[in-house]
Amino acid sequence: MRRWQCRYCGLIYDEALGLPDEGIAPGTRFEDIPDDWYCPDCGSEKGDFDLIQS
Amino acid sequence: MTIATELAQTIIDPKAYSQREIVDAAFVKIRAQQPLDKAEIDGFEPFWVVSRHADIKEIERQPDVFHNGDKSTFITNIEGNQRVQMLTGGEPNLIRSLVSVDGLEHKNLRGVVFPHVTPRAIRPLEDAIRGIAREFVDHMLTFDGKVDFAQDVAFLYPLRVIMTVLGVPQEDEPFMLKLTQELFNNADPELNRARAELSPEEMLKSLWETTMELENYFKAVTDKFRANPTDQINSLIANAKIDGEYLNHRQLMGYYIIAATAGHDTTSNTTAGAMWALAERPGMLSQMQANPELINAFVEESIRWEVPVKHFMRSAVSDIEIAGQQIRAGDWLMLSYQSGNRDEAVWADPFDFRIDRDQNPQIAFGYGVHVCLGQHLARMEMRILWEELFKRLKSVEMDGPGERTISNFVCGPKHVPIRFTVN
Repeated sequence: MRRWQCRYCGLIYDEALGLPDEGIAPGTRFEDIPDDWYCPDCGSEKGDFDLIQS
Repeated sequence: MTIATELAQTIIDPKAYSQREIVDAAFVKIRAQQPLDKAEIDGFEPFWVVSRHADIKEIERQPDVFHNGDKSTFITNIEGNQRVQMLTGGEPNLIRSLVSVDGLEHKNLRGVVFPHVTPRAIRPLEDAIRGIAREFVDHMLTFDGKVDFAQDVAFLYPLRVIMTVLGVPQEDEPFMLKLTQELFNNADPELNRARAELSPEEMLKSLWETTMELENYFKAVTDKFRANPTDQINSLIANAKIDGEYLNHRQLMGYYIIAATAGHDTTSNTTAGAMWALAERPGMLSQMQANPELINAFVEESIRWEVPVKHFMRSAVSDIEIAGQQIRAGDWLMLSYQSGNRDEAVWADPFDFRIDRDQNPQIAFGYGVHVCLGQHLARMEMRILWEELFKRLKSVEMDGPGERTISNFVCGPKHVPIRFTVN
């Protein structure tokens, strides 16, 4: 399970945890999040997340 | 051991910020010697000074432990804090805005505007903002080769952009500019309400009067947009409901005021500071004209450089260790973004203005859930202004000394005299 971080606000997307409040179930791979999803804290787009742990 | 009194006094002194090098020098020593330590100053509640980039991020990443709204969100003395509580009926901040609330209230309030200021949501505004930028470039070029870029361009362009987005009529822009400057530049006799040196007590009175004047203005805004809703930000605020109820008076006023003031003043300061940096660096303009992609790096570096919000305060709600220091519940902390953006551990050459950095993780917008709501709009409007101006500009240099505002909170250059030629 990998972790991704928003480069503008630091929000971490942890694939193991998902983001249940945002409707993303635990275990969801980053690639499987819809392309029009954006960072729930700052609005940055999916492409603005960097892989920080693989 | 606490931070030396002289250093502690310097980093809260509004006059020191008007000569930025003095504050920078103080923070160089603090970062080297006591990067996270307490300051004790007569008349002030003791507070931790958080000077390093990594420590600021660690604190901002934990909004449940470090609250914005339990105490004043900017440095204020004990007497001032007591007076604010008397005026507000017990609240620690004169204005109840996004920067001074926490938890669910913050999440709910932020959610009102947030979906409308994401990069995707603001993309359709690009053409309209470019039109405004061209108008201000044309305006600048009427000055025949000499202009005070801060007063005649940088203060006005972001104001027009944000007022358009909010839904404030153009004829009200001078009023909004004046009240914004009164709000943020209270210590500066050139810009404050009284146009005079004020005692701390007079400053608070003046701030209160400005806040009341803004509230009177925005009361009519609520009525207007509830009668005729639009897709403009002030209409979203006026018509927002949380759990089926409109925002209460303090929430409404705080939202209008923060959007209408912080929404342009920070960008104005950064824009003015960017021009000052450019005018002192021969060759940088032609570098960007040859490679316009560098404009994004110029924008990001100018945000790091100018860092228009000098600090925010937080208070700990429980005991926690940060960087080896034991923070206790109730402790007050100053997050210095100016210091964080010059941290030698992140930038090898923090006092150089460079547009060729591989990475620039500046934290002028803050970090975490309280990160600036308007950051993407701010970046976009600055990029567009420079794209339009650099097409026309042949050369630029300083035409005398620049001058900074006397303020320790939200501030930047107030005069940037430049000499320029056009293509």
